[in-house]
Amino acid sequence: MDEQGEVTRREFLKTATTATAVLVLPRLSEGASQPGVASSNSTVNYGIIGTGTEGCSLLRALTRISGAQCVATCDIYPPNQKKGIETAGSNPQLYEDYRRLLDRKDIDAVLIATPLHLHASMLLDTLSAGKHVFVEKSMFFKEEEEIPIRKAAAAHPKQVVQIGLQRRSDALYQCAIDMIRAGAVGKVMFVRAQWHRNSDWRRPVHDPKYERLINWRMYREYSGGLMAELASHQIDVANWAIGAEPLSVVGTGGIDYWKDGRETCDNAQTIFEYPGGQKLVWSSILCNAHYDFNEQIMGDRGTIEITLGKGLFYTEHVAKVSQGATKESWWAGATVTELAKQQGLPIFPETVPPNEGFFGREHRYARAWLMRHGYKTIPENDAWYEELTNFIASVQDSKPVACGLDQGIADARAVIYGNRAIDTGRKVFWPKTIG
Amino acid sequence: MRGWLQKGTASFWPGLLVGLFILAAPRGLQPAGRVGRDVLVPCARNVSSELKRYEASHTSMGTEFTVVAYGQDVRLLAETVEEVFQEIDRIDKQMSNYKPESELSLINREAASRVVRVEPSLYALIQKSLQYSEDTGGAFDITVGPLMKAWGFFRGEGRVPSPGELHGVLAHVGYQHVKLDPANRTIHFDVPGIELDLGGIAKGYAVDRAVSILRENGVTAALVSSGMSSIYALGAPPDEEGWKIILRDPFDSTVPANVVYLRNFSMSTSGNYNKFFRLGGKTYSHIMDPHTGMPVENMLSTTVFVANATDSDALSKLYVLGAEGSRRYLATHPSIQALFYLPAGSEKQFKRVLLQSDSYNLPPDTLVKILR
Repeated sequence: MDEQGEVTRREFLKTATTATAVLVLPRLSEGASQPGVASSNSTVNYGIIGTGTEGCSLLRALTRISGAQCVATCDIYPPNQKKGIETAGSNPQLYEDYRRLLDRKDIDAVLIATPLHLHASMLLDTLSAGKHVFVEKSMFFKEEEEIPIRKAAAAHPKQVVQIGLQRRSDALYQCAIDMIRAGAVGKVMFVRAQWHRNSDWRRPVHDPKYERLINWRMYREYSGGLMAELASHQIDVANWAIGAEPLSVVGTGGIDYWKDGRETCDNAQTIFEYPGGQKLVWSSILCNAHYDFNEQIMGDRGTIEITLGKGLFYTEHVAKVSQGATKESWWAGATVTELAKQQGLPIFPETVPPNEGFFGREHRYARAWLMRHGYKTIPENDAWYEELTNFIASVQDSKPVACGLDQGIADARAVIYGNRAIDTGRKVFWPKTIG
Repeated sequence: MRGWLQKGTASFWPGLLVGLFILAAPRGLQPAGRVGRDVLVPCARNVSSELKRYEASHTSMGTEFTVVAYGQDVRLLAETVEEVFQEIDRIDKQMSNYKPESELSLINREAASRVVRVEPSLYALIQKSLQYSEDTGGAFDITVGPLMKAWGFFRGEGRVPSPGELHGVLAHVGYQHVKLDPANRTIHFDVPGIELDLGGIAKGYAVDRAVSILRENGVTAALVSSGMSSIYALGAPPDEEGWKIILRDPFDSTVPANVVYLRNFSMSTSGNYNKFFRLGGKTYSHIMDPHTGMPVENMLSTTVFVANATDSDALSKLYVLGAEGSRRYLATHPSIQALFYLPAGSEKQFKRVLLQSDSYNLPPDTLVKILR
């Protein structure tokens, strides 16, 4: 650090690991032994409630984890029941009533991938049944569900609670956050995120009586709309990057393009304000997919553009002014290839040698970019696989979850308040104290 | 404001002192915020007599230029550095062969079919380049553009040209095809397909122009670099004898190989470890031998120390001649040092060879100190 406390470019990554330890790790699950699991070598038997699209994504990833065994699936829609059993491939028991699944003594852990309005009740019941739980985002649907969830989690401290915000388990995102904590982008003041699609966001429904079941996302009785389904991930990234929860939100939205009888907006825009004046500007539309989905994290010294599978880092050219003399020391060398920097340095979550300075790392990234003909995707680093590996390890071994109760609650609140801002047309403020 | 600052004469120092005194006078309260180009000046109030350090970078000419300057008046430093970056952009716009609208690209398109009039500073640089070609027996050659393209280094990622292709390309390479007419300040190519590429000298030239602007504005301690491969050390940092520059190990960018202290001198490095590609287990560097059309082998890096950056940039191409091959040049050109890193047989080992001109006399107030 120089005299004015500015982190010079050479020192960015030196303290990355220590910096992230405090901020990334959530509260640790307490207690050495977990209900129903004797040791880290024993298999985790799990059941899954909800085997639609997301549930089957979870199952596909879980089938790759050798410590996990699916012994039960639960769904009320026959085609999804079939999909779930086939995807699990382990001949699980099928249930239609999730409470019967929870009654099973041999199940250690439960995953919940049902429509949003069911998350809270299923989560509470699962905790009461003594099981570890993984619940899809967003964590709960209505504001009044928060307190019972907090109480239940506090009453069952030995049970793992993980929320399906998979970017928290993604190595690329973790690397980006390390860089932010180490000062690579300077002071984060602005995050822009969007999730743009060009489709009606509907699933095919052969029998009209299943419309509200299959297309639950279109109906306010079950769904938080684009905010809950899409913004949720990105608000969490902003919370993570900024290191705080928002204070307020304004928003608009409407049904302006897909006027097909849906109740939830087909476009939404929200602006969140954070305690240090930072802003998150978020939009989702369903009539243009050009800008796809990513987050752009902007600090006064640099920018990170990131999505699953791709992250780019750009520096800002800002002059640094300081008092008096510095011990000047400059590294010379042949030309650093600037093309890579102008197009952004790709972020690779490779292991970094402990004493590697910033220039060394930049050189390495530029070379890797040149030699691999473009952006590197990391096929083995599937975010669903990562988060579920984390979950199973947490159940077996009390490893900390990458996304736990506090992150899940913060995220769910932001979704609820964002939707309220859109519905009322008024700025919504977070309560001063947590209830 | 600049009238008081006279360069290069005996009146320089008193003029400078007067200038600094006037510049250092308080300007009243200045609000915190932005000064000139994105300078974050936290709560700057009146300009004190304390020395400030100003550092800024700018992307241009395919690399990142950095200026570090010391001075009393941050606002003046910011404005001066802004002017430096604008000049570098002007040079890029004029001399870039990546820009089809540049003067250089126009020359490349037209000089084979007609005589083209050239702007004076560009003409002078081309003239100097041709002189370097003569003096180095063609090791330095600004006509290697087609060769760079054949090897895929122009906007590309590297490819190996066939011998036939190479032979065809070499017909369009060679500084002797460039004809200058000083009386009319014109240029002409005597065969088609000639392409000038000033990549081996323009960045050093830009560094020299930057230093001129800094000197004109009364800066006496600054470091200017283009991508840290061409550097000029103006004066020295406060309480130091020179600017400290570390030459990296060619195999590991975090390990120092030599430490250099420079004052009012320049150094440039050519190396094979940043812009290269691998194909079939072999590493191909981007530094071409214009005679053979092949990338130079058996050389890791060459750092040349000369009084100005245009010359140090051009002469870093002594890389092509190698250590022994450079002796003749050094015998006939004064006050140059050249430090070569050569492969030393086994994996990741290198050896150093430091050569010096037969005639070596540094001007006053300069320093070139090379340490292990």
